[in-house]
Amino acid sequence: MFNLIRNEWEKILKKKSTFVMIGLLILAIIALSGILKYVDNNDESTGDEWQADIQQQIETDRENMEEYGGRQLGTYYQRNLAINEYRLEHEISPSVESNVWTLVDEAKMLTSFIGLFTIVVAAGIVAGEFSTGTIKLLLIRPMSRTKILLSKYLTVILFSLLLLAIVYGLSSIIGVILYGFPPDDAVHLAYQNGEVVERSQGLQLIITYLLYSIDILMLTTMAFMISAVFRNSSLAIGLSMFLLFVGNTVANLLAMQFDWAKYLLFLNTDLTVYFDGMPTIEGMTLTFSIIMLTLYFLIFHALAFFFFKRRDVAA
Amino acid sequence: MTTVLSLDHVSKSIGKKRIIDDLSLSVQEGEVFGLLGPNGAGKTTTIRMMVGLMRLGAGDIVICGDSVKDNFERAIKHVGAIVENPEMYQHLTGYQNLVQYSRMYKGITKQKIDEIVELVKLKKNIDQKVKTYSLGMRQRLGLAQCLLHDPKLLILDEPTNGLDPAGIREIRDHLKYLTREKKLSVIVSSHLLSEMEMMCDRIAIIQQGKLIDVQTIADQQLEEKSTYYFETSDLGKKLLQLREKWMIALKGEGFIIDAEKEEVAKLIKELTEADISIYLVQKLTKTLEERFLEITGS
Repeated sequence: MFNLIRNEWEKILKKKSTFVMIGLLILAIIALSGILKYVDNNDESTGDEWQADIQQQIETDRENMEEYGGRQLGTYYQRNLAINEYRLEHEISPSVESNVWTLVDEAKMLTSFIGLFTIVVAAGIVAGEFSTGTIKLLLIRPMSRTKILLSKYLTVILFSLLLLAIVYGLSSIIGVILYGFPPDDAVHLAYQNGEVVERSQGLQLIITYLLYSIDILMLTTMAFMISAVFRNSSLAIGLSMFLLFVGNTVANLLAMQFDWAKYLLFLNTDLTVYFDGMPTIEGMTLTFSIIMLTLYFLIFHALAFFFFKRRDVAA
Repeated sequence: MTTVLSLDHVSKSIGKKRIIDDLSLSVQEGEVFGLLGPNGAGKTTTIRMMVGLMRLGAGDIVICGDSVKDNFERAIKHVGAIVENPEMYQHLTGYQNLVQYSRMYKGITKQKIDEIVELVKLKKNIDQKVKTYSLGMRQRLGLAQCLLHDPKLLILDEPTNGLDPAGIREIRDHLKYLTREKKLSVIVSSHLLSEMEMMCDRIAIIQQGKLIDVQTIADQQLEEKSTYYFETSDLGKKLLQLREKWMIALKGEGFIIDAEKEEVAKLIKELTEADISIYLVQKLTKTLEERFLEITGS
């Protein structure tokens, strides 16, 4: 099994397209840091009177809540109020100055790039072998097809972890170079189950990254399934990317109208709402989402393995 | 003689069409066994079922005592195969490709890989990417790939497809070496009759998924009577006499006769004594092609 994964890993890393992907990702991180630094320099710092500012913010939030406090906005104001009151009480100033974590936090939007690249790899890893015919020499080895497919899936997951590590690691390094090490008292205030909790920012960001990658994991698994079932990488890439970009929006639109939307994959992929925020549809819980995700995950894999194992290789 | 591979009433249908119909045959140790048949006869399908690329419809295939159906991983360990063209990873070098395959077996050393590379004469190009290889080099790399794990049975689907005469000759020499020196059994498929005749010990003729006949190539030499062609000067009066005694048939500048070896010697003596010049005596073996056409009735 280890050898199979090593084989797959080697096949991916020796491809030119892989280098292009990693190169683009690194460029994107550098560009993002540059832009942030530039914007940051033009930003005027609010300085020492943060307590007064927050007091003012609390008051506006209260007014707004009374006026617009509907189903979704209400919880938003509630969260802001709770966090701001906590700040006043414990004298934690909002860190107006950028530090290394600001960059790492902003870099999390690059996870959609990672999603894109991982989908491309997942879509090609099975279908590609069929279209080049190399699948024939791969399947006539003393290895079960289950093991071969599993090694391919695990390799895709490893690849996405590599990309995540590149983004997190490189943005931290650039962050330290640009802003130096963060102040000791920099904590993240999270709003969880109606309470405010303190978290270390580095840890909070790792959690955020992992939560963001659930999206990637699910779409990658779907792309992988399409790749294994239909042996067609274009279909796998096309469908998964389409869903990556519009899936969330469409699901959210549906969620405003229909309650059944909570069974859609995309309303369950964003688990961050359960750790810091509120779910899209009332009554959805972390457990519910995890069950839904597991279900989707298992269905995708059941399809992939079933078809891959039974398939007659005739091409 | 031990049986290396046996097909036991194998059938396969795709949709409603029966592609392979109750096929049974066996291959012995050290034998080159040919699967011959026109395009679409089911040769490739049969081979794909042997190596597990296609599922068996009915029946079973046993390789060195292990069933492909029940114990695929054990059965396939004895097999090295090229199915149609040897498609390798184009973006890897020849050597990297071989390393890929070697990782899927236990205990293939670096020396072993080098040894095989030497054997198929690819040493010079082994560190180039496969996409730069010529068809002949790819074919040789394909052969290297299936020899890595010292298989007992080689299965080659159209191994000479698209090769030039030198390449075909090379493959033939390799196969001869492997069967004689290493006691390998080989199954080759082809639709080229002349080629099969030169390579194989036995040939199975398949048509529309059915086994029509199995021919032993060495049979020809054992037949008592053969057909000979004599090219001679004008027979003149002798003709009538010959017709009566030897049952000859006129052809071209001479005649054709069915006779045993000793009789031929006698006939030559007789002709010389009658002052008839003999320019040529040629043994006409029935080619496989003639037999094939005879059997398949086309």
